[in-house]
Amino acid sequence: MNQKIFWRLSGPGALFLVIFLLVPLITILVFSFWRTESYTMIADWNLDNYIRLLTDKTYLTFLMRSLVMATVVSLVSLVFSWPIAFFIARYGGKYKIILLLLTSAPFLTGEVLRVTALQQILGPLGLINMTLNNFGIEPIEALMYSNTSSAIGLTYLWVPFMVLAIYLSLLNFDFDLLEVAKVNGAKSWSAFWEITWPLNKIGTAIGVVLVFVPTLASSITSKFLGGPNGALYGNILTNQFGSTGTWALGSAMGVVLFFVSILVLLVVWRLVGDLRRSGISIKGGARL
Amino acid sequence: MGIVLELKNVSKNYGKVIAADNINIEVDQTEFFSLLGPSGSGKTTMLRIIAGLEEPNEGSQVIINGKDVTHAPPYQRGIGMVFQDFLLFPHKTVAENILFPLKMQGASQKEKDENLKWITHLTQLEGLENRYPYQLSGGQKQRVALARGLVSKPSLLLLDEPLANLDLELRKKMEIEIRRFQIELGIPFIYVTHNQQEALTMSDSIAIMNYGKMEQVGEKFSLYHDPDSQFVASFLGSADSIEAEVASVQDGIATMTFHGKTIQARAHNGLKAGDQAICYIKSERIRMEVEENPDAPCGVVLDKIFKGQYIDYILDIEEGNEIIASSGTLSQIKAKDRISISWDPQVADAFPLPPKDPS
Repeated sequence: MNQKIFWRLSGPGALFLVIFLLVPLITILVFSFWRTESYTMIADWNLDNYIRLLTDKTYLTFLMRSLVMATVVSLVSLVFSWPIAFFIARYGGKYKIILLLLTSAPFLTGEVLRVTALQQILGPLGLINMTLNNFGIEPIEALMYSNTSSAIGLTYLWVPFMVLAIYLSLLNFDFDLLEVAKVNGAKSWSAFWEITWPLNKIGTAIGVVLVFVPTLASSITSKFLGGPNGALYGNILTNQFGSTGTWALGSAMGVVLFFVSILVLLVVWRLVGDLRRSGISIKGGARL
Repeated sequence: MGIVLELKNVSKNYGKVIAADNINIEVDQTEFFSLLGPSGSGKTTMLRIIAGLEEPNEGSQVIINGKDVTHAPPYQRGIGMVFQDFLLFPHKTVAENILFPLKMQGASQKEKDENLKWITHLTQLEGLENRYPYQLSGGQKQRVALARGLVSKPSLLLLDEPLANLDLELRKKMEIEIRRFQIELGIPFIYVTHNQQEALTMSDSIAIMNYGKMEQVGEKFSLYHDPDSQFVASFLGSADSIEAEVASVQDGIATMTFHGKTIQARAHNGLKAGDQAICYIKSERIRMEVEENPDAPCGVVLDKIFKGQYIDYILDIEEGNEIIASSGTLSQIKAKDRISISWDPQVADAFPLPPKDPS
């Protein structure tokens, strides 16, 4: 491609990304080596923030809690999304697009409204526990302002993304290959493990990353549904920029989150393994 | 040699659409058997019923090696299948693709090694075992697909238009190769195609299908020269058609009047004097003479098309009937020549013309 045209076309987008992504990232990185005192930033370079994050058990606990939450939410979303995406892609026919859009119907309202609506179902005065109460049954504690209800809220939030990623992957999948497998002696499950899964694992990996990384950083859902002991890493991080005003520590937390996310990406990439094993040919993508 | 495949009263319909209408077929141990027909004629449906990918209607019977497998799943039928577009598994190497059926059967490593060696030798794929499908040429992909179909030594191989996406030169090479595999393995091949050249080249027997019905089944030579249905007469080869009125029918030969001239052909389907008939003659059976014969249909050469091995003459006969006559390349007849045509009554076939649709 003509170089001039290349720069003219991709220049504005690249510039936008540099200004609004890279600059704040660098700022945060710089801030993370500073210090905050009485709501002002002091530019003396030190590692105190990082030392605190790595030694104070509180922060590690919240990070672990977020990692567990992200893992659970990703796995549950995965189990829910595969069948949905598969049936839309395989049997959706002319209704494919409508069915797909329906999975994203929750997004037609805002995030806060969506979480509030979940409160009306899961909370102590919510639909489920009130109904149980009417029948004289004890309310389900786990549903009321807990990590479980956060997990339900987050799964509900991210399933559409996972469905979309897997669906797009399945759109490129030749379902006739399953018939070939069947004729050659494969039963349904072995056809899935031998053919469907390997050829769609990259799409699935993208779905997992799309769910895992935002869950790791999430704060709103746990704020509304998590209750007193439900705070996640994201909540603590938000606090540093809010009530406590310790921006330098918050920045360091952000940097840690950033690197943990990169680490997750690398792990997922490793799990995907040899691209040829996912049916990706070098042809077509060779001149990257 | 025994019968390997038997279809008895096999029917299949999708709602009101009839894809297979009471089909009866027997395929012998050493037979190369083609299902030939235009697209939508139900030939692929037949193959899918044999494979077990499609359940036929009540009362149908699919028998393989004497065992009724009508309701058995594909993997219990002992068949191999080669698909259109190859359909190789893109994420598996050549060896893994070929060995897939054996892996699914839980074969031992020794058996896998032996069979892989045998089949890669037969299909000339030695040395390509560790390649991925995207690294193969069209012909190699085709051979991998064949090898995968044959590796478990099935009792019959089904092929669904396997050469449709290859270029002409490669197709001709593969036609000969596939036929060679079939003879070497001594198992029947059931070959679906819409390409009659392919069917004629490779087959022993051909079943011609049209709208889910089997029009005619038989040895290819007799099918080509003795069609017993109007569809087969018009479908096979390059057939010209002429409409005429039947004057008399005697000893199976109909004598007809065509623009005042007398023509003759074998009479089919109870053709009788007074009927309107449609008469089919293969292009290569039409003889042309430059002298105008007052008793024979006459006309003018509109165009002469050199095809390499033969020449096609486009003729306008008795003003308004365009027919094609094929002739050897040494023919001296030129465009605009006036000619008369004739043929041997034993190579033309006349059928009653269905009454014209009043609409």
